[in-house]
Amino acid sequence: MMGAAAVAFTITSAHPTQADIKVGFQAPLTGFAATDGKSAKIAAEMAIDDINAAGGVLGQKLQLITYDDQAKSDQAIFTANKLIGEDGVKLVVNGSYSASGRAAAPVFQKAGVVMIAAYGVHPDITTAGDYVFRLVHLGPPQGRATALFIGKMLGLKKVSAITMDNDYGQATMDGFLEAAPKYGIEVINKYSYSLKDRQFGSIVASVKRDNPDGIYATGYFFTGGPLVSQLRAAGIKAPIIGSQAFDSEKFIEIAGPAAEGTYIVDSFDRNRKDEALQHFFTEFQKRAGYAPEGVAAVTYSAVKLMADGIRRAGSTDPVKVRDALAATKNFAMLEGNLNGFNSLHEIIMPISVNAIKDGKFQAAAQITDLDAFAPPEK
Amino acid sequence: MYYIDLAVTGVSFGCMYAMMAVGLTLVYGLLRILHVAHAAVFALGAYVTVVVANATGSVDAGFLAAIFITPLFGMAIYRMLYEPLLSYRPDVPMIASVGLLVLMQDAFRIVFGEQGVTFRNNTYGFTTFDVFGVTVNAVQIAIVVSAVIIFLGLHLFTTQTRTGVGWRATVSQPKIAASFGIDSIKVRYLNFAIGSALAAVAGGMVALLNNFVDPVIGYVVSYKALAIIVLGGLGSVRGTLIASLVLGLVESYGTIFIGRWLDRDAIAFLALIALLMIRPQGFVGTRAT
Amino acid sequence: MSAYEISLLSVIGINVILAVSLNMISGFCGQISLGHGAFYGAGAYAAALAMIGTGNILLALISAIVVGSLLGIVVGFASLRVRSDFLAVTTIGVNFLFTGFVRKQGWLGGEMGISGIPGSGLGADGNMVMILLFAAATIALSLYIGRSWMGFAFRAVGEDEDTAATLGINAAAYKLAAFGIGTALAGLAGGLYTFFTQFITADAFDFILSVMLMAMVVIGGIGSTWGVVVAAIGLTLLPEAIRFVNDYRLLVFGGLLVLVIRLAPGGFAALARAVATRMSRA
Repeated sequence: MMGAAAVAFTITSAHPTQADIKVGFQAPLTGFAATDGKSAKIAAEMAIDDINAAGGVLGQKLQLITYDDQAKSDQAIFTANKLIGEDGVKLVVNGSYSASGRAAAPVFQKAGVVMIAAYGVHPDITTAGDYVFRLVHLGPPQGRATALFIGKMLGLKKVSAITMDNDYGQATMDGFLEAAPKYGIEVINKYSYSLKDRQFGSIVASVKRDNPDGIYATGYFFTGGPLVSQLRAAGIKAPIIGSQAFDSEKFIEIAGPAAEGTYIVDSFDRNRKDEALQHFFTEFQKRAGYAPEGVAAVTYSAVKLMADGIRRAGSTDPVKVRDALAATKNFAMLEGNLNGFNSLHEIIMPISVNAIKDGKFQAAAQITDLDAFAPPEK
Repeated sequence: MYYIDLAVTGVSFGCMYAMMAVGLTLVYGLLRILHVAHAAVFALGAYVTVVVANATGSVDAGFLAAIFITPLFGMAIYRMLYEPLLSYRPDVPMIASVGLLVLMQDAFRIVFGEQGVTFRNNTYGFTTFDVFGVTVNAVQIAIVVSAVIIFLGLHLFTTQTRTGVGWRATVSQPKIAASFGIDSIKVRYLNFAIGSALAAVAGGMVALLNNFVDPVIGYVVSYKALAIIVLGGLGSVRGTLIASLVLGLVESYGTIFIGRWLDRDAIAFLALIALLMIRPQGFVGTRAT
Repeated sequence: MSAYEISLLSVIGINVILAVSLNMISGFCGQISLGHGAFYGAGAYAAALAMIGTGNILLALISAIVVGSLLGIVVGFASLRVRSDFLAVTTIGVNFLFTGFVRKQGWLGGEMGISGIPGSGLGADGNMVMILLFAAATIALSLYIGRSWMGFAFRAVGEDEDTAATLGINAAAYKLAAFGIGTALAGLAGGLYTFFTQFITADAFDFILSVMLMAMVVIGGIGSTWGVVVAAIGLTLLPEAIRFVNDYRLLVFGGLLVLVIRLAPGGFAALARAVATRMSRA
C-alpha cells in the first residue's frame, strides 16, 4: 500500500504539471451577435487544440479562458476585469463585435495585457494603445477599397448606397463615401436600415427608381441575405456589392438564387490551395455542422498569431509578446499572407473579393493597392 | 411605378400585420389583458412552418402544422398563465406576458440556433410576377388573398353560425351572453385558438417572404401590434384591419423620410404613445368597455 | 481586492440603486414602469456630456439626477392619463424612444456611443466606494419613505386611487412625486455608471434591461425594500456564480419572472414573511 503510493508519488513528481499558458477569449455567446460568437468560439477552440496537438508553445500547452460578453460594452469591460483579476490572464483574443472591442481595449491597455481584436472594425479599438492589435481590416479602409473595386475594377459610375446603421455598417460606408469621388463614382442616393430589419420594401422600391449601375450595401448575412433576395425579386439586375459581414454560407442559403453574382469585399478566399486552410474547413465543418466563414477564419488566425508571438518572444511576458507581435513579418493566416502591422498595429494585407457563382464562393479579385486603403498610422 | 411599388408593399404588409394583430385585439376584447406574448406565438408559427416544411419537403405541410400547433400553444398560455391571474390588476398578467415573451425568444435561440432557419426549398418565396411594370411576389399575393378569405370567413362565422354569434356576444356583453347559456370558457379557448392560428399564418408568410426566421422575429412585430390595436380600438376586429393597413402603408411610404431622426421601433412607439395620450380609446371602431 | 471583485461590487451597487428606485415607482406607488432603462440612460448621457465639458464630478452627478428626474416627471404625467397596463406599454415606448433617439443623434455619439469620458479621478476602488455609499443611502431613503406618510400615500394611490381621494390624498401629485424621486435615483445610477465604464452606448439602457429590473422588483417582492435589495444582489450574482444562468440569461430571467408572478406574486419578501409567521407560531 505504502509502496504503491510511493511509486505514484514519484511518477507524478517526475513529470511536474507545467502551468498552462492562459489565453483569455471574449465572444458574444448570447444576444443578437450569438451567431458570430458561436463561430468564433469554435474556431478559437480549434486553434488551441491544433496548437496543443503540435506540442504547444515553448513546451507548454495553451488554455483558453472564454467569457460571454453579449457584444455589449459593459459586459466587455466586466469580463475583461474578470480575465485580468480572477484569471490572471496576460494575453487576450477578443472575438467579438466593435462595441465590445472598443470598451475592452482601454481596460487591457491599462493593465498591460496584450489584446488581439479578431474582427472588430471600429477605429477606436487600436487607438487605445500599443498593447492592442487588430487582425481584420478597419471599417473605413474596407469602404475605401470597395470604392476602388466598384469604380476602377468594375467600372460602375452610378451607385445606390445602403447602410446598416450600427457602428460597423456606418464606419465601413463612411470610408466608401469618402473615396467614391476619387474613382468616379456618383452616389445617387443613400439609404439606411437597422440591424433588426428583414424587410426592405421601401428601400427596394426606391433603388428600383434610382436605376443605378450598381448597389453597395453594408450589413450582416442576416440582413444582407433578405436584402439581396428582395432586390432581385423586384427585378433589379444591377450588380450588388456587399460588405465583409455578408460572408457566410447562410447568406447564400437565405438569398437563394438571388445570391448569384453578388460580390463581397474583404471576403475570405476559400479556394486557396493551402493544406492548413483545407484542414480548417473540414475540421470546423465537423465541429460546428456548418461551413466556416470570415469570422471563424480570422479568429482561428488570431489565436494562432498569439501563439506565434509567444514563440518568437520566447516568453509569455506581455511586453515581449507585444513587441514580437509588432515585429510580425509575413505571417501565414488562413485568409492569406499578413505582411505585417503598421505603427497603430493595424494589418497590412491585400483585400480579396469574392463573388457567388453557382451557389458557391469564388475568388473574384484581389485589391493589392495597399496605399489606397492604408489604415491610419499612430 | 415607384408609388405603386410602395403601395403593393404597404398593402401586403398591412394584411400581414392584420392577421398577426387580430389575435391580440381579440384577447384584449375578451379578457382585458395585453397578451404581449402573442408575438412568441407568431414566432412559433414562423419556426414551425420552416422546420416542418424542411422535414417533409412541402411548404403547405409546414403551414398546416403551424396552424394546428400554435393554437395549442396559445390556449396553453391562457390556461397556465392568464386564467389564474384574472383576478389581479391588469398589469400583473401583462408583466407575466412580457416575461414569457423574453423567455420564448431565448428558447427559440437555444432550440433552433442563433443562425436562424431557412427553407430548403422555398417554392413560393422566389416566384415573382410582372404586373404592368410592377413586380409582385407570389407570397405578397398569397398574403392579401389569405387575409381577404380569412376576414370574410371570420365575418361569416361570427354572424351566421351559432358558435360564432355566441363568441361575438361574449366579447361585447359577457354577462348577458352567459345568461343565454353560452359557455364563456369555451369561447375563451376558441378566442385564443383562432387568434393564434391567424398569427401562425402571418408568421409562415413572413418566413416565406424573407426566407429566414431568427430569434428576433417576434420582437419587431410585437410593438407594432400593440400600436395597431390601440389605433384600431381595442377589441375591434374591423378597427384592427383598418389600422393595420394604415400602418403598412405609412411604413412603406414614410420610413425613407423619418429614418433620419428616430429608428424604426421608436417611430411605432411614438405613434402609440401619442395615440394613448390623445385618445386612450383608439381612433377607429368602438372600444368595448 | 481584485479588479474583478471591484467591478462586480460596483455593478451590484448600481443594480441595487436601480431596483430600489424602480420599487418606489412600481412597488410603493403601483405605477408599473417597464422603461426604467430610459431614465438610467438619460442620467448616464447627461453625466457623460458634463464630464467631457467640465470634468466636474459634482456637476455631472447633479446633471444626471436632474435630467433623469425631469424625464421621469414628464413620463409621470402619462400615468395620470392611462391605466396600469397601458402605462406599462407607454413606459416601454419611452425606453425605445430614448434609445431610438440617442442612436440617431451625432452629438450623443449616435451608434458609436460616447467614448473617452474623463474618469472621476477616484480610481476604480474609489468609484466602488462611492457607488456603495450611494446604494446604502438609497436603501435608507427607501426604508424611510416606506415608513413615512409619503409611503402611506403612495401605497394608497397604488392600491385604490378613488379611496385614496376620499382620504384627501392628491393622487396626481403623489404619482408625479413617485416618478420624480424614483427616476432621479435612476439618473444618479446612470451618472455612477458613466464614471465606472467611461464609455457608454445606447444598448446598455435597452428594454431588456428594464425587464430585468422589473424582474428584480417582482421576484424580490413588490413594495418591499429589503426583498428588492436581496433580489438585485442575487440576480446580479447568479449569472456569475452559475455558468448555465450566464449562457441562458434571458431564459432564466424570463422564466423566473413568469414563475414568481404565477406562483408567488408577492415575491420572496412575501414568502419570507409567511415563513417567519409560521415559525413564530410554532
